[in-house]
Amino acid sequence: MWKEIGKRESGELRPSLFCSRIRSSRAASLQLSNHKEIVSAHRGSVNSLQVDLTEGRYLLSGGADASVAVYDIQNSTHCEERGLVAKHKSIFVIDKQHEHGHKYAISSAIWYPIDTGLFVTGSYDHYINVWDTNTTQVVMNFKTPGKVYRTAMSSLATSHMLIAAGTEDVQVRLCDIASGAFAHTLSGHRDGVMSVEWSTSSEWVLLTGGSDGAIRFWDIRRAGCFSVLDQSNSQLGRRPPFLDHSAMNKASTSKSSAAGQSSSVKARGLQRKAANGNGSKQSTIGRVRSQVKGSMKPRLHPGLLSSQDRATAHYGAVIGLKMTGDGMYLLSAGSDSRLRLWDIESGCNTLVNFETVRLQTTKPLQLSLTQDSALVFVPCMATAKAFDVWSGKTRLTLRGHYENMNCCWFNAQDQDALSRKGQAALDEDNWSD
Amino acid sequence: MSVWNYVVTAHKPTNVTHSCVGNFTGPQELNLIVAKCTRIEIHLLTAQGLQPMLDVPIYGRIATLELFRPHGETQDLLFIATERYKFCVLQWDAEAAEVITRAMGDVSDRIGRPTDNGQIGIIDPDCRLIGLHLYDGLFKVIPFDNKGQLKEAFNIRLEELQVLDIKFLYGCPKPTIVVLYQDNKDARHVKSYEVVLKDKDFLEASLSQNNLDNGADLLIPVPQPLCGVLIIGEETIVYVNASTFKAIPIRPSITRAYGRVDADGSRYLLGDHNGLLHLLVITHDKEKVTGLKIELLGETSIASTISYLDNAVVYVGSSYGDSQLVKLNLQPDAKGSYVEVVERYVNLGPIVDFCVVDLERQGQGQVVTCSGAYKDGSLRIVRNGIGINEQASVELQGIKGMWSLRSSTDDPFDTFLVVSFISETRILAMNIEDELEETEIEGFCPQVQTLFCHDAVYNQLVQVTSSSVRLVSSISREMLDEWHAQSGFSINVATANLTQVLVATGGGHLVYLEIGDRKLTEVKHAQLEFDISCLDINPIGENPNYSHLAAVGMWTDISVRIFSLPDLNLITKEHLGGEIIPRSVLLCSFEGISYLLCALGDGHLLNFLLSMNTGELTDRKKVSLGTQPITLRTFTSKNTTHVFAASDRPTVIYSSNKKLLYSNVNLKEVSHMCPFNTAAFPDSLAIAKEGELTIGTIDDIQKLHIRSIPLGEHARRICHQEQSRTFAICSLKYNPSSTEDSEMHFIRLLDDQTFDFISTYPLDQYEYGCSILSCSFSDDSNVYYCVGTAYVMPEENEPTKGRILVFIVEDGKLQLIAEKETKGAVYSLNAFNGKLLAAINQKIQLYKWMLRDDGSRELQSECGHHGHILALYVQTRGDFIVVGDLMKSISLLIYKHEEGAIEERARDYNANWMSAVEILDDDIYLGAENNFNLFTVRKNSDGATDEERGRLEVVGEYHLGEFVNRFRHGSLVMRLPDSDVGQIPTVIFGTVNGVIGVIASLPSDQYVFLDKLQTNLRRVIKGVGGLSHEQWRSFYNEKKTVDAKNFLDGDLIESFLDLSRSKMDEIAKAMSVPAEELMKRVEELTRLH
Repeated sequence: MWKEIGKRESGELRPSLFCSRIRSSRAASLQLSNHKEIVSAHRGSVNSLQVDLTEGRYLLSGGADASVAVYDIQNSTHCEERGLVAKHKSIFVIDKQHEHGHKYAISSAIWYPIDTGLFVTGSYDHYINVWDTNTTQVVMNFKTPGKVYRTAMSSLATSHMLIAAGTEDVQVRLCDIASGAFAHTLSGHRDGVMSVEWSTSSEWVLLTGGSDGAIRFWDIRRAGCFSVLDQSNSQLGRRPPFLDHSAMNKASTSKSSAAGQSSSVKARGLQRKAANGNGSKQSTIGRVRSQVKGSMKPRLHPGLLSSQDRATAHYGAVIGLKMTGDGMYLLSAGSDSRLRLWDIESGCNTLVNFETVRLQTTKPLQLSLTQDSALVFVPCMATAKAFDVWSGKTRLTLRGHYENMNCCWFNAQDQDALSRKGQAALDEDNWSD
Repeated sequence: MSVWNYVVTAHKPTNVTHSCVGNFTGPQELNLIVAKCTRIEIHLLTAQGLQPMLDVPIYGRIATLELFRPHGETQDLLFIATERYKFCVLQWDAEAAEVITRAMGDVSDRIGRPTDNGQIGIIDPDCRLIGLHLYDGLFKVIPFDNKGQLKEAFNIRLEELQVLDIKFLYGCPKPTIVVLYQDNKDARHVKSYEVVLKDKDFLEASLSQNNLDNGADLLIPVPQPLCGVLIIGEETIVYVNASTFKAIPIRPSITRAYGRVDADGSRYLLGDHNGLLHLLVITHDKEKVTGLKIELLGETSIASTISYLDNAVVYVGSSYGDSQLVKLNLQPDAKGSYVEVVERYVNLGPIVDFCVVDLERQGQGQVVTCSGAYKDGSLRIVRNGIGINEQASVELQGIKGMWSLRSSTDDPFDTFLVVSFISETRILAMNIEDELEETEIEGFCPQVQTLFCHDAVYNQLVQVTSSSVRLVSSISREMLDEWHAQSGFSINVATANLTQVLVATGGGHLVYLEIGDRKLTEVKHAQLEFDISCLDINPIGENPNYSHLAAVGMWTDISVRIFSLPDLNLITKEHLGGEIIPRSVLLCSFEGISYLLCALGDGHLLNFLLSMNTGELTDRKKVSLGTQPITLRTFTSKNTTHVFAASDRPTVIYSSNKKLLYSNVNLKEVSHMCPFNTAAFPDSLAIAKEGELTIGTIDDIQKLHIRSIPLGEHARRICHQEQSRTFAICSLKYNPSSTEDSEMHFIRLLDDQTFDFISTYPLDQYEYGCSILSCSFSDDSNVYYCVGTAYVMPEENEPTKGRILVFIVEDGKLQLIAEKETKGAVYSLNAFNGKLLAAINQKIQLYKWMLRDDGSRELQSECGHHGHILALYVQTRGDFIVVGDLMKSISLLIYKHEEGAIEERARDYNANWMSAVEILDDDIYLGAENNFNLFTVRKNSDGATDEERGRLEVVGEYHLGEFVNRFRHGSLVMRLPDSDVGQIPTVIFGTVNGVIGVIASLPSDQYVFLDKLQTNLRRVIKGVGGLSHEQWRSFYNEKKTVDAKNFLDGDLIESFLDLSRSKMDEIAKAMSVPAEELMKRVEELTRLH
């Protein structure tokens, strides 16, 4: 550490590189903290955790006992054992007794991404509630046709305030806080939707993972999904050979006419579809707005062949999704106990072999990534494992829970990882180095 | 201090980050363009050496600098990209002698992880496109169209995640890049891609090489006809092209910079981390490469850039030492080196630490920096103003005037020094032993005060007393002629040059005399309405012996008048306004521009542009130099004429870039000055100050003076001890000869005058000096040096052991008095309530100084505070402790005496990675962070809730663009109690790029005024390359970008003084403040540094 500081002082180590080195070395040396304890307010398992995105200070947790609690993880409420262990008690708890409280387990609790004035909970009682943090009152609720598995809000969004909800129902619903109504329903999945995740590169792009094993990409301004990930598509790392490549490009550039559409799509086939994802994605990364007008999207959707549409990303349900911060890769966890890393541009399965994990399969999982996307934290039964994203090797195994874990959260600001146990939580643990 | 801060650069960045050579200013002109982080300098290569042409600030940190020439152009264009993702293309406008913007734009992507290894910007050798690698996994392409204009940029996916270097290959039909990258298993490979513009994609090209040297991190593309690429590793150098592979082993070294010697690319200069310069030769048989050869040329500063200029002259830009201009000789010198250093350019960077001291005890701060790194480490003493190096001094009371005289008109040196007192005149001269000795000039009248003396033509001397003008032979020393003033009117003031004398007697009589051979002739007499207060006929026209103009200052109507000579006709009359009479006028010329300087009795100085033909006075400016009457004199140093203004705040007036500059002289009060250029003391000045006559030489005329003390090792921490008059430093010495990088760490004691090492305490193996402090403890009158260390074990991520060492200086030696082991690195030490406060890893720990039974002393731990990630920077004030954390911004702790405990009072919840903190006042704290920003936070003691009181409120934010390593209270200028700026508290900072800056806290009304001025200046002064000043100064990190607030950019505000008059008026109009007033206020501010 001192050497790094010295090198930064003399200008030998770029400050940004200094940060990322310290971050990764801190992430790599995560341990169960002996000095910090978060006293759980839940009497059942904890299903969801999130630290607010603005200050990195308030932790929101949702429990199976239908309660939701907020903790200040920076300032402890009191200390125990001669000041060595800082205890963090909840600031408030909302449970079944609350007049608008959920009736059944809370599956998802998320902060409003812009500030800590609002948070959103989704529950097995079919309701999604939007809460005012200061008054702990429900300001809005949405009734869905089934159990709510996951809710998500885009942290990039500047022009919409949509909560994407994955439920038992095959349709993904977008709940608009501004109007208090469902803005869209997205149809395509053939079974309930266990995981939803907004793109980190475009505020319009939503990713969903269903119990049908499919991962779908949606542009919410268009009808239908524009891409489905296929686990058998794994041609990453090969630039298409020259001739084929140019031919393909000709095809893709000339298809602005509606008539030529179907033929060109057909010509593309499976692999072509990947290239299509490539094209559209690229512009998403660069200039979102201008790209939208491009001819790629509309061409994609109607032409999405039934064979492609049926592609699956996992054998079994997709139970967790996480996109890297730069929006170029996607991690998915399935009830087949596999983790897959996807290259989003090409839609390819990168075939990174994540060392065997056993995932619990009945509930959605919450995955988390370090800031530099080098490590992914995965709740694997009673432990949290940190895998190297690029090689799939296990870097850390965090033990501390006695029961199965459902969710974990990595706080980028302080490099603390939080994880929550499954059943009958005693207390929640805070991991730091 | 206050929340309204004014940030200004006292010393510009000197760390050379980029350089390139090309025909930028003209098709036939060879230019060296140097980037110093936030500035670019354009030099012209001439037969005399490098001639500076332009030095401009860039509103951004320069990430890439490239010269290129689109098709159809006759000279090069300059491409600059900044770290905040702006780029611009600049072109030289020869007529206006300034750069104009050809193109500019933004290349940022909203999403994307910035590359760890720095931004790469490259231009296709055939000018088909510009390539940028800014974010991991993306390669941005800006294509050129046929006319050389830039088209819209697009991204291409680059699968290699850890890219080390990218270059364009020469001689490819399609633009082709070669990529050096590292894979997941840390192996390094090279791959190449063709850029297909039409498809906006890559095509894999044939050149590739797997499993290279593990230290490979530089690519050099080889031009036609050879083509291909050189891959520079730590142990091998490899040449690859489509068909050939050649490799040679080298002595292990890290190559930091390269420069191409020949246009055909067969020879390259390589500079390594030890400052060794090698020549790499590609041997070839026509177009076929047959091998590589490498040869050691010699040693330079550790190079960050190498630019081969011409005729074996090479510019070596350095980040760690002085940049150099070197000549490569064909034959080695005695030490076997082919390198000859022709010129050095001072570089203070990186300033790792510094202290503010007043070594001369004159009330003016000096900054002593720990500069440079590795072998180029040094201490630099930086002070403002011009120093006089005293060579001789005599005690003499009551000097009323001084003049130097030559023994003959052609003698290049002065012989006599005429010193005038109230009732006598004494003459001093250098004797054979080079001592000043009193002598006599028989023709002079010694019993009265001399009003003026001068050499005259035909080996004569002129003395003016109150009754007469005497002409004396400088050879026989006899009086030749005398002119008597009209009876009843005594001479009040007089002046003369080689051929003319002008005297003013009581009653407003002005008499003009001319000097002939042995003869004084009264040529003209004029009667003015008032008495005359001062005169000057310094010849500044074409004839160096004869002036056509005379400047006259008047009593009563307070005016200055220009008369023609010899007919004494009034040409111009300028009323000065006010009630203070002019005390000294001077005609002078700087850089070919003529000025009239007029000094008033209250320490103000007026200057006018003087038209030599019409005698017109224009462009009046007024500055305040001191509070006492000023006497003006010209003198010559290094063949340039300057003006010395003697007063209570002596000042040298000089000109740079056709602008008058004022630099104070580091002397307290000077009543008279005259140049005294003798054979023994060339270019000396005779200076009369409080009861003393001093002969001394003057430093180079520039504002900041830097003295270098090369150490040959890297000083990391410095502190000064007033009592023992010593400095102590923590330093480390690298040992490049041994195979492993072995370092030795020392605590060294230096004399504060000579800067010699007088004592050394070696630290243990693996032990680093982290902090140093001079302090005393309660109930112990001794002053100690306390040193905090860390044991940095190779296998440990974070130090777990350190020491606090307490030394006393006895007989010039460091004596260890006590030591205390700590559980981590001691990042910071502070004196705190007669105790010692240490920051040790996550903890703040307070130690008291206890007397043991046996009379010895020891440090005993009293209390501590946990709860930081790493407490790196600590400052204290009273019972308050301000901690700058590694990544958790600033927190405020308080020491509670009764409980003997340290508690947290408040903190800033932002995630700032700190690099320095300072306490501005009880409530406001200043921080510098990792993304080159400054911010201030305020303690909110009046908050309604605990939550509010526990939060440090961010009150100021500003993007400095510099990495600050240290803040210190203090000032670089002499503080005069009576001036406005004397009351403004200041903090000095030092940065990695060698910038020394000043942060001044302004009163609210002044801040509001200057903020308005800054807004107006932004409209008038356009940034180079069209970059926006407002965006540049906005606080910027990974999470947010917000406009700067409560900070002002002093560099922009002070550039008001460089504007043309019309632009000044434009701004003055917008501000509804007279331009004069604006100028005065801005000039006041320049006094801060």
